[in-house]
Amino acid sequence: MSDFKIHHREGEGVNVLELKGYLDAHTAPDLENAFQQLLNEKRYRIVVNFKDLSYISSAGLGVFMAYIEDVRKNKGDIKLTNMTPKVYNVFDLLGFPILYEIYKDEKEAIGKFKDGKKQ
Amino acid sequence: MRLPVIPTPNQVVRKSSSDILPLFEFSNVVNSSLDLNFILSTVLLTVMGKMLVSKGLVMLRKEKGDFEVIAKKGLEQVSIGQRLQIERPLRTIAPVEKLMRKKMAWVDYFASLGQELIIPISSQRKVLGLIAIGSRLSQKQYTSGDKQLIQSLVNLSGAAIEKAVIIDQLKEVNRTLDHKYQELNTLFDLSKEFNIGLDVSKVVRLITFALLGQVGVHRYAICLRNGEDLQIIASKLEGEVNISTSLKALCDLRKAELIQDLLKQRKLREPAVALHQLGISALIPMHLQNQTKGLIMLGPRLRGGEYSPVDLEFLYSLGNLAIISIENARLFRDALEKQRLEDELKIAREIQQGLLPEKLPTIRGFEIAGINIPSFQVGGDYYDVIEHSESDYVVAIGDVSGKGTPAALLMAGVQAVLRTIAPLHLPLPIATGRMNDLICMNTHGGKFITFFWGNLETESRQFHYVNAGHNPPMLIRKDGSVEKLEKGGLILGIMKSIAPYEEGMCHIEPGDVLMMYTDGVSEAMNRDNVDFSEEALERVAKGARNSSAREIIATIRAALEVHTEGSPQSDDITMLVLKSV
Repeated sequence: MSDFKIHHREGEGVNVLELKGYLDAHTAPDLENAFQQLLNEKRYRIVVNFKDLSYISSAGLGVFMAYIEDVRKNKGDIKLTNMTPKVYNVFDLLGFPILYEIYKDEKEAIGKFKDGKKQ
Repeated sequence: MRLPVIPTPNQVVRKSSSDILPLFEFSNVVNSSLDLNFILSTVLLTVMGKMLVSKGLVMLRKEKGDFEVIAKKGLEQVSIGQRLQIERPLRTIAPVEKLMRKKMAWVDYFASLGQELIIPISSQRKVLGLIAIGSRLSQKQYTSGDKQLIQSLVNLSGAAIEKAVIIDQLKEVNRTLDHKYQELNTLFDLSKEFNIGLDVSKVVRLITFALLGQVGVHRYAICLRNGEDLQIIASKLEGEVNISTSLKALCDLRKAELIQDLLKQRKLREPAVALHQLGISALIPMHLQNQTKGLIMLGPRLRGGEYSPVDLEFLYSLGNLAIISIENARLFRDALEKQRLEDELKIAREIQQGLLPEKLPTIRGFEIAGINIPSFQVGGDYYDVIEHSESDYVVAIGDVSGKGTPAALLMAGVQAVLRTIAPLHLPLPIATGRMNDLICMNTHGGKFITFFWGNLETESRQFHYVNAGHNPPMLIRKDGSVEKLEKGGLILGIMKSIAPYEEGMCHIEPGDVLMMYTDGVSEAMNRDNVDFSEEALERVAKGARNSSAREIIATIRAALEVHTEGSPQSDDITMLVLKSV
């Protein structure tokens, strides 16, 4: 069935999750576990790179909604980057751009975290 | 913004061919764009620049007589998106002053903004909108030449505006379609997943994700209804929903509703206020076969705006899809539970059957027959016959409290104790006391056994017995008189023996029948919950006393069947009949 992979890497105090494949109701729990793990380890600076994500469903978007509050409460954020037009369209359609920071490029998002740190 | 240079009115009047070029340029600029806002701003600025005016606005006609402000210059009191009802829009350019005399109510709006001239925007005789401009900085009146120029400028852009409006509408339609497609995808995505997973908590989690993602909320709660029982199974509200006051009253919604609409209904106002205070904006009932099986409560949408009727319709579909899966998951779980119970009962039945004697011994001068018919739930009935010697036998019958495996296991314990103690040939009262103490040590709380046992010496026909709280066996004499064997003491397993058990003794003469039974016989119920009764049992047994032990049991069974009329057996039925021949 649908194939979905998450690769986690960390650098400069920011956690990057690279998503690959299909994120739908079937695979949403995987992403949920990944977020839960980061929260358990008190890692709240999260960048999600969508470069290799080919599809996202509403249930997939819901996972971001389910965790953003906890992350922001702990002075962190989930920033989204490198979306393909198809994936961005779904985010846009459901009004997510006003709720999340979305960047073209991963470096830019990481940079935003670093800017915040200086202040 | 690059504005084309427009000839002055006098130049237009002269119709010099070289002066027409800037008009072409203007036309090219507006016609080469599909961006409605750009086109309208360009037209407005061009008109204002040409006439040297500092205030002006553009409105577009939305549905029917509704005009909406799209662009404005120098008018701080006006906001983009503001709407105005204009019943019969103008077809030609007209000064506000002249329109005021015609007493058209909507003109006041423009007069109050200091606007002097209103120019309709039209294409192929269809009014698309209007432009209004204020007074000229030079304070000069607009001449008919000015008006002609303005109208031509606006006319030149009419087709471009119409094209851009249509493209905007198409974009909107496309977006609506995309949105619908996304909604359908969500339902499809979930239903695919629901067919695989059959676990209530997983279904609820996926529904939650879909809700959060599709409508964008943080605050929500999901409540399930099972009969009259309401249960919150997921909640991310700041506070607790009062189930009895709020939810019960709101369970019978026929469709998804906004809390603000419920607040207007007298009957539902009170419960709705409580939910409103918890930050709930919309309620979505989950229906299955015309029954409300649950309720989804949603907080406000994070991206702003109320839930639209289309949103509510989607949420209602989502809820109904979810409840089918939740119900299926529940039924599946119930079926598993039932299967587990049945397996356990099967084990209990096997234990019980294994404990009952397979074959009763042949006792010289006596007949003995026993029967045990376990009920569906398996009680803890037990009987036994132990042969000490050819002339010395022990008969026993007991009923363990409770049902199922625990009762069967306790019964196994009783059998072990009985089989250990019986060969010791202790006097029955002492042996019974020991049995009680042993059982007390091994049972914990609320478990007990009613027990009757006796020692038969076949040569003297003496029968010594102790009855520990069991239904008194009936000794039916040949002449039809009945004695009940009641002597003994407390039931087994309640507390350690304090007072010794009492022993009873009788002789069982030829033709006498000792009928031992459990309460499953005397309390067998018919459809109206009426017991078979001890009296009836005595009557039937007495009537059959001249038959063989086996036949007596068969006769009583037949009488029981007549009484119960096929209603389900609620307790084990056990009988042990000893007859002297």
